[in-house]
Amino acid sequence: MLILAAVPSWAAEGNNLLLQIDRNLNPDSYEAYKKLINIEPNGNKKEFVLFTVKKGKDKVAAMFLSPASEKGRSTLRLGENMWLYIPNIGKPIRITSLQSVVGGVFNNSDILRLDYTSEYNVETVGDMGSEYILYLKAKTRTVAYDKLKMWADKKTLVPLKIECLTEASMLVKTIYFKDIKEFGGGIMRPSVIETDSPLYKGYKSIMIFATMKERELDDEVFTLIFMPNLDSLR
Amino acid sequence: MKSIACILLILLLPFQATAQGDYSFDLSEIEKKPYTFGGYLELTPEVFWLDHDAAFYDLNFYDKGEKDYLDEYFLKLSMHGGYTKGISEIYVRGNINRTESHIDTGTDITIDEGYLSFKPSSTLNISIGKKMIMWGKGYAWNPVGFVGRPKNPDDPDLALEGYIVATADYIKSFSGPLRAMAVTPVIIPVYDHINTDFGTRNKINYAGKLYLLLYDMDIDFMFLKGDSRPSRFGMDFSMNITSNFEIHGELAHIDNITQKTINRNGTITQSTTDIESYLLGIRYLTETDTTFIFEYYRNGTGFTVGEMKEFFGLVDNGMNDYRSSADETRLRKARAVAEGSYGRRNPMRDYCYMRISQKEPFDILYFTPSVTCIYNVNDDSFSLSPELLYTGITNLELRLKAGFIVGSENTEFGEKQNDYRIELRVRYYFDAAK
Repeated sequence: MLILAAVPSWAAEGNNLLLQIDRNLNPDSYEAYKKLINIEPNGNKKEFVLFTVKKGKDKVAAMFLSPASEKGRSTLRLGENMWLYIPNIGKPIRITSLQSVVGGVFNNSDILRLDYTSEYNVETVGDMGSEYILYLKAKTRTVAYDKLKMWADKKTLVPLKIECLTEASMLVKTIYFKDIKEFGGGIMRPSVIETDSPLYKGYKSIMIFATMKERELDDEVFTLIFMPNLDSLR
Repeated sequence: MKSIACILLILLLPFQATAQGDYSFDLSEIEKKPYTFGGYLELTPEVFWLDHDAAFYDLNFYDKGEKDYLDEYFLKLSMHGGYTKGISEIYVRGNINRTESHIDTGTDITIDEGYLSFKPSSTLNISIGKKMIMWGKGYAWNPVGFVGRPKNPDDPDLALEGYIVATADYIKSFSGPLRAMAVTPVIIPVYDHINTDFGTRNKINYAGKLYLLLYDMDIDFMFLKGDSRPSRFGMDFSMNITSNFEIHGELAHIDNITQKTINRNGTITQSTTDIESYLLGIRYLTETDTTFIFEYYRNGTGFTVGEMKEFFGLVDNGMNDYRSSADETRLRKARAVAEGSYGRRNPMRDYCYMRISQKEPFDILYFTPSVTCIYNVNDDSFSLSPELLYTGITNLELRLKAGFIVGSENTEFGEKQNDYRIELRVRYYFDAAK
């Protein structure tokens, strides 16, 4: 196994690699439909369908389409700022990346995920034959997970597995990327993301992408005032 | 009670059909329809254990016979629907409420919102009609909520009735420290049959809000100018100090507000003055998923301890009159000033609000126990409300909530009509447009 040391030039090479992985996961600006499924140890499950839009490095928004109890709720993320709009309450409230608007193993930063390059620097890259292992370190303390260990396929340059770790290297959750699918427009990426956590023994959460396509979006879409109107983009 | 059991059964049936299944993602699930129709059916049985020594017990029950407890049953069908065509959308939200109670039984229908909106671009949204407009960053109170109805601090997430308005939002994003800006003008007419509870009739009122996202801070400046209510202006802010620690605040100034107080003999005194109301709050999430919300609220329009004592004295005197000579004059006066004034929620000057909630303890997914305390700083009385919330069954929400009231004689909470209460809320959401 060849380990690339964390010298600046190689770190830059690692960051370029991470940027390619980001672009293979999604275009810079896009819309997508995804379903989140929380599965309890007894087999009970709860599903949520979301419409998501993202623009640039730090803007992402999502609106719940189902179930009926969540329909019309929307979330907005600008960098590390996050808000939740609930129609009943009638105004957005600030939420944190560590909370979860859906419960289960996915937290808000997983659901409203930014590009990895916007939150992490690559410290080292390991060569494992058909895979790379990227060791990522959060750029700021406000990022949900301090460290990531990412296994990426050399050929497709998409992640296969990510371990999310605390500053003390405690495993918080593991994310598995599965079922690479052609979404059209040159987007080929994993369509299923599974996660489990030692903190939620026996629980599992799954994210399924139905569609993803590149889309030009106004900056104003990513504002608090627009949150109740996200459905108008569909 | 049989009918209540039947309703519970009906509410619980649908989740059994959705508890099993596979992980399919049918594209029909994301198909957009031009119309929406959904809502919820809610059943809330509630029991109050009454306090025979309390002023508000006397005021509410002196002509209804002595009761030790009061059980009430609320059935609510809340529906909302919309239709979109091009850039325009029509939206209506209304409720059918049925109340079964020893003191107030009946059915009423309310339209909380009903408006037409136009969205010609992502930067502009124009609405005309009855619309709920919520301003302010406070969780329990919003002193800058100039064009909305006051929230119930005991249940601040409830949807409220709107006012008939013409309003718009114009949004602009920028690169740089000022990341976004939005302007929201509002026109609120008050005439016979239009917004009659907003204030003086036959007037048009103007309000506006300027929103800024400056660095990572939300800031709003707002005003209300018109002749239905005294003019007022204010500001609010909200920001995250760290990813799990948020602070917020509101400040409102009201010009020349007229306040009425009543003494124990029933004499009303009027005074006009400028007042300030403000709120400071935090929201903190621990590593173990415990959320703390704390707010301090200064209610500039609130009554002092002495003013409240005079009101409670009026009720006492009224009861003495009623018992000795069946004279209801002073009790009627007390009832008249209780409505929207002495009897409103949190009518005094200084309050603290604390809510502690624990997400999914003992690995029970979708289960959130919490406890809420509203403390009257002026008279040391308070309410304490433990709550259990479970949302693990798709579209079904179960909430069990108790309320304990603690306070001595002549205090706000000590003079409430009940000592404690318990309520179960069963709410089933539906989406008929799917």
